[in-house]
Amino acid sequence: MQTGTTPAGQGQAAQSTQGPASLVADKVQVEGNRRLIAEGHVLVTYQGARLQAAKVIYDKAKDRLAISGPIHLTTANGTVLMASSADLSPDLRDGILRSARLVLDRQLQLAAAQINRVGGRYTQMTKTVASSCLVSDSNPTPLWEIRASRVVHDQQRRQLYFDNPRFRLFGVPIFYLPRLRIPDPSLKRATGFLLPSFGNSSLLGFGVSMPYFIALGDSRDLMLTPFLATRSTTLKFRYRQALRSGGMEWNGAVSHDKVRGGGLRGYLFANGDFALRDGYRLRFNIQTVSDAAYLTDYGISNIDRLQSDIELSRTRRDDYSSARLYSFHSIRAGDNNATLPGVVAGYTRIHRFTLPGLGGQGSLTFDSFGLLRTSNQDVVGRDEARASIRLDWRRSWVIGPGIVVSALARTTSDLYAFAQDSQVPGTVARTIPVGAVELRWPLVKAERGGGSQVLEPIVQLIVSPRNVPSVPNEDSTQLAFDAGNLWSLDRYPGYDGIEYGPRANVGLRWTRYSASGWTLGAVAGRVFRLQARQGFSAGSGLGGARSDWLTGVRLASPHGLSLTGRAIFNDQLTLARSEAQLGWTTRKVTLATSYIWMVADPAENLPTNTSEWALDANWRVSSRWTGRASWRYDFQADRATSAGLGLNWHNECLGVDLYLSRRFTSSTSVAATTNLALSVDLIGIAGRAVSGDTGTCGG
Amino acid sequence: AIAQGTQVPLGGFKTDPSAPIQVTADKLQVNQADGTALFSGNVIVGQGKMRLSADKVHVTYAKPVDGQKGKIQTLEATGGVTLVTSPTEAAQAKTAVYTLQSGTVVMTGSVLLTQGQNVLSGQKLVVNLPSGMGTMEGRVTTTLQPNAAPKAPPSKAKTP
Amino acid sequence: CGFAPAYGPGGPAAGIRGKIRPDTPADRDAFDLVNQIEARLGRPQDARFTLGYTIRTRETGVAITPDNTTTRYDVVGSVHYTLRDAASGRVLGQGEAHSFTSYGATGSTVATLAARADAHRRLMVILADEIATRLLATSAQWNR
Repeated sequence: MQTGTTPAGQGQAAQSTQGPASLVADKVQVEGNRRLIAEGHVLVTYQGARLQAAKVIYDKAKDRLAISGPIHLTTANGTVLMASSADLSPDLRDGILRSARLVLDRQLQLAAAQINRVGGRYTQMTKTVASSCLVSDSNPTPLWEIRASRVVHDQQRRQLYFDNPRFRLFGVPIFYLPRLRIPDPSLKRATGFLLPSFGNSSLLGFGVSMPYFIALGDSRDLMLTPFLATRSTTLKFRYRQALRSGGMEWNGAVSHDKVRGGGLRGYLFANGDFALRDGYRLRFNIQTVSDAAYLTDYGISNIDRLQSDIELSRTRRDDYSSARLYSFHSIRAGDNNATLPGVVAGYTRIHRFTLPGLGGQGSLTFDSFGLLRTSNQDVVGRDEARASIRLDWRRSWVIGPGIVVSALARTTSDLYAFAQDSQVPGTVARTIPVGAVELRWPLVKAERGGGSQVLEPIVQLIVSPRNVPSVPNEDSTQLAFDAGNLWSLDRYPGYDGIEYGPRANVGLRWTRYSASGWTLGAVAGRVFRLQARQGFSAGSGLGGARSDWLTGVRLASPHGLSLTGRAIFNDQLTLARSEAQLGWTTRKVTLATSYIWMVADPAENLPTNTSEWALDANWRVSSRWTGRASWRYDFQADRATSAGLGLNWHNECLGVDLYLSRRFTSSTSVAATTNLALSVDLIGIAGRAVSGDTGTCGG
Repeated sequence: AIAQGTQVPLGGFKTDPSAPIQVTADKLQVNQADGTALFSGNVIVGQGKMRLSADKVHVTYAKPVDGQKGKIQTLEATGGVTLVTSPTEAAQAKTAVYTLQSGTVVMTGSVLLTQGQNVLSGQKLVVNLPSGMGTMEGRVTTTLQPNAAPKAPPSKAKTP
Repeated sequence: CGFAPAYGPGGPAAGIRGKIRPDTPADRDAFDLVNQIEARLGRPQDARFTLGYTIRTRETGVAITPDNTTTRYDVVGSVHYTLRDAASGRVLGQGEAHSFTSYGATGSTVATLAARADAHRRLMVILADEIATRLLATSAQWNR
């Protein structure tokens, strides 16, 4: 039982005065007033620093501790020192440790003939070997090590200064430097060089990028990465700033290369997200590039329509408002920026409420929209503005044997104004009422073993005018048909297109939850129309008096497997559209694969069928090796779109990542390229500590 | 490292075990049968500069040799024992056994030894009076107080 | 065949309509999710249960043409939800809903914007329906 007689032991908070160090031991021998000999599990503590040793002799006259036996010293900020013998001051801040080892942040170890501690801040080591690799008798040479005649560790600024360091890999000296300064691994944001990475691209040639990180205070940093390749010299930059209310990030690069006939090229992407007063949120996005091919040449992104936007929005329980401004610039082959809506603005306000008197759930939406095309040509240069008000109302009752009957009503009033389009009246106004009755009959079955099933037939009977004044379709050309709009009053994504005419959405949903945690769900449905004049495109599956069948399935297992798929096919079972995604994550494997089939649909600019299979898999072969494969195969073009193979090896001190990727697509502005990227992480010095496996010796 | 047993002439505990012993107490009970005596009530045992005080001290005598009363063999003190050997050295414990022949005092039971500014607390203290050497055992706790500590303020010894 | 109307007389889910209050939404996706949950389970008045949710969505390009044009984007989403007793805050049930929707990017810039927003709305409808269906299936256990 340790009696708490020592002030230091109680860890006084603001221990400003020096205060004596405290000692605990199995046996203490007092020699008059001159010496104290402590033996057996000796523990000396001083303001958070702790020293454990076999034997400590305290010479009161010289006020020094002569320490022997295996010594384990932990300083207040977590630095660990081990030694066979030492001579220290009682406050453990000054002194000499012999044949000692310094361990930083439980990763980097520095073994030295002698370690001098000065003022509790500096630790000087002579004839040092620094490495984070485990060494044992079966493999005595560490994978990598840095030998130096002298190393000084500044505990306050958390930096390590090496005098003539010699870097050795597998025991073979690789390179030598007169001086080296690296941050101590416990320092997360230190200014300095990060480890270079190498790459080879068939377009840019062999290149090396050397990132230099500059920490600008606690909440901002700038990373400059010169990328020097045989056919390009590039400076990449990334600036990040975090604010209490949000943050922003600016990425960009400037290149001088011989890939596109020389000259300066570059790109700038920026985004920001800020929370303003009383619930408002501001978001902005900037995307600009010097020429169409730059983003793919340098593998930055395959965005082919640059979208810069700014949005001010607020979301509350029953109220949503959003004001948006967009500026577009397309770099897609075949797009003409003059006739594409370049500047777009929108304001949306939704208010939900309970209708007094009638009761039920009401919502009022005001949506205004405007688009500008730079071209002044007739028709193709059309500019447009729209203001719409939509009132939705729904009320539900449960009747009879649990049937949920809902009355739905909607009126949409649009006011359009057009310019530079002689084929269209200057303004168009229209109001379209819609009424519907929805019948749902959810049935539940409890299985003996604890599983349960839900079967739910759902029918919507909808009436709306047989025809509607039409407007040029700008925002509703891309139709989709899935369980998200099978039971919907209007499947067009925007305001320009409106479903009209009497129709019925009929469908059935079935889900089974097994006791062991599996979920299997299916949905099937169809749209019936009294007249089939609506001009739906063939590919959407929505055309005709009876739409194609919409079917969907989902499967989820408790141990990481999830499959979602849907298919749209007609009565002759010819497939209009089908998509499936499979995800499987276990401790060893993460797999994501997807397939998409779309029949050709000129109305949606799909000249040929689409049939594509994509896969991305990570496989943890062993605690050291991780394999990665990804490809995307285009059955229509009967060849791969892209493929990638990666290998990652890491142990407690070294990480090597190799990734080979090839993109086969090519066009006038985009060339097929192959990239090879190699990066090495010296864990503990310049790399993230890999969590989990601290490799055992010879492991 | 210093071998444990070296005799280092030091001040502090040194006392001559053969010096005469005076014992004062409120009450004395003598037990003729086993030849022992029990002093009780603020007992003070004095020998040279050493003072041993306790609630009760049980004294055993050597066997009387040819009619002469035997010399004191051991003193067993119990109840708040305090051993003072010099103005700067004192030890407190629950019990203490002083065997004169070997000159050692063994004190046990939450022992507290103060020596100048040094304070040691532990379970057992063995003091060798002739050599003045003291050895404390049983998870001993102390503070490292330099002798002439210019700046270090004397730390108050808190009772354990 | 063992099926009983959920809202039927004595049904497991009798009386839960209008008694489940989803947490207040903080963005457009959550706003649409809450709107659909309230459409399916009734607009809450003096609710007995609260429904907490965390929505995660990401977009990936699919159907990339030989000349490297991304013609379609998938919006993959999941919602982890927790049903609690409104008074005590005790957790009555939780689960996760997964699904995805997709939108075409071959139209004009305006068409892609509208298609993307609609894909997010449809995804929230699907996820809300999955949550509502799961709550109906388990209502016997917590709707006492």
